[in-house]
Parts: sequence; structure tokens; C-alpha cells
Amino acid sequence: MTGHPLPDETDLQILDALQDDIPLVPRPFEAIAQRLGIPEQVFLDRLERLLEEGIIKAISPILEARPMGLCASTLVALHVPDERVHETAAIINGYPGVSHNFRRDHYYALWFTISGKSEEDIQRVLAEILRRTGIPGRDALNLPTIRKLKIDVRFSFLNDEEQEDNYGPA
Amino acid sequence: MDPLDLHLLSELEGGLPPVREPYEEIGRRLNLTGSEVLERIRKLQNAGIIRKFRARINQRRVGISANALVAWKHVDSLNGDMGSLLASYPCVTHCYERLPVPGRWEYTVYTVHHGYSRDAVLAEIGEIADHICAHEYVVLFSTEEFKRVPNVRVRENGSNTA
Repeated sequence: MTGHPLPDETDLQILDALQDDIPLVPRPFEAIAQRLGIPEQVFLDRLERLLEEGIIKAISPILEARPMGLCASTLVALHVPDERVHETAAIINGYPGVSHNFRRDHYYALWFTISGKSEEDIQRVLAEILRRTGIPGRDALNLPTIRKLKIDVRFSFLNDEEQEDNYGPA
Repeated sequence: MDPLDLHLLSELEGGLPPVREPYEEIGRRLNLTGSEVLERIRKLQNAGIIRKFRARINQRRVGISANALVAWKHVDSLNGDMGSLLASYPCVTHCYERLPVPGRWEYTVYTVHHGYSRDAVLAEIGEIADHICAHEYVVLFSTEEFKRVPNVRVRENGSNTA
């Protein structure tokens, strides 16, 4: 992840604007470019580069879980010995219901999420993961979601004042 | 949702192409016009299937390298609901309530924080903790990312590039 230049000011403006909903008009990027005061072609060239460099993963719809049949989810924490973290993580990654899987600085070293059609569906996946990794149940925390209060990944790149705003409640 | 909607979502999941008329381009792959694509996207938004439509940013590549999950113990004396209160801080990107594991793990409210450094993230968390007088919490910084894809996906990996 090193060796790439960090985005410049115009890139940051573009990244900021693209985190709002994309306009549903025939030429959405022209609309955004106009708002930023840059020519459409300049915007498109930069967008292409930001995508190629992987700074933007994709401009794509974020779907709601329930209408897509995913009615249950959980967060699982596992205590895993250091030397077994990578092989264990690889097994966990193989499950399509797992969307996030991180190593964290804690006795419980692996933290991952499972989404599924139902609680039973999730229990089944978790039981299988524990069986295949050989991690005993006493080394696992299963923390089912009761309420999703906020899912809003938005990064503010524009200026320090807006960063300051982040400290108080909305 | 009809099968064509599912195809459309699958194409869109790969991402809008960086061209002048991206919906037209997506439509070509599905034998739809650009305006038919737009019409379907609007319907999927109105039906609550599409929640947002926007760029997903690789935060590490823009220098946001500190990521913390914070597990909070419930504060009973709070005036109001702790989850909603934590969710109201703009710097909190995710906030969930979860069941505890009685006797082993009593934390029930979880927040996610991102920043340019651990110190900045810790400062932000400390400030929130002071505000709401919550002092039993665990900060879990990520040290390695093994998987991060959208939790709802039409394709297995959520995009061609994931």
C-alpha cells in the first residue's frame, strides 16, 4: 500500500462529492463536475485514475439487507493463538456470509461478521467455522445484532473545520 | 424485483464506469436504454432495496489508517438510550446493539471510528466517553484486514475488483 502518491486537493473534492448519492441523470459526472467547477473531462480522467489506483473501490449501490433476504447478523470474536491467526482467517474468509474479518489488538484476536437468512443459518455457519478451525467454543464470543443504529461510512476530506465538527453529537 | 433487476444490480455492483453516460453503458450490457436503467434504479431506491448509491473509498489509501471498534458497557444512569446517543456523534460511522455473553463479555453497544492516527481516534473516543460519562469500554484497533466487502452483495465478492 505504499509507493502511491496521496490524492491532491482536487482528488479530495472529488472523493468527497462522490460519497453523496450519484445523480440519476444521463450524465451524472457532468453534474458533479459542474458543482465542483471543473470540466467534465478532467473529472472523468481523475475518476478513472482514482479507480485504477484503487482509492475508489467502486461507485455502486449499497443494498439494504432485509429485502435481499438477509434477516440476521452477528459479530464473532475468537481467541486464536498468534501462529494460527492467518490460517484461521483464511477459513473464515471462505464463507460468503462473512463480509468483514479483521485482526484486532486484543486477547480475542479475530473479529468477523456473519450475515444470514436467519439466526439458525448463522449458528450453522459459526458451528462449522469452529469445527473446521478447531477453535473451542469457550474461545468464541457470539454477539448477535439486536439493533442497527447507524451504518454510515462517510469520510470528510474537505477541511479541518469539518473534522472538528466530528466531535460533538449531531 | 424481477430477474432483470437482479442482473442490473449485479452489473451496478461492479461499479459505474468512468464515462460520460455510465447508465447508457450499463444498459448496453443488459439490452436496456440508459433511461430504462435510471427508471429501474429509481424504483429500487423507492422500494428501499438500494439504500445509497455512491463511491466506496479505500480509506487506507487516503491515509485513514486507524480503525477502531469500541465495545461499550451499558450505562444505566444515562438520560435516554445509549445506542442512539452514541450513533448521534458524526465521527461514529457504525453503531450497533448486540447481545452480551453473560459472565464473559458484558458489552452491548458497539461503535466504529476511523482516523489518520491512533492518537486521534483515541482522543475522539475519550471525548465521547467523557461526554456521556461512560467509562467501561474496550477499544479494539484493527491491525490486519482479512476481508472487507459490502455485507449485502449480489455477486460473491461484491465487485470485480474486491
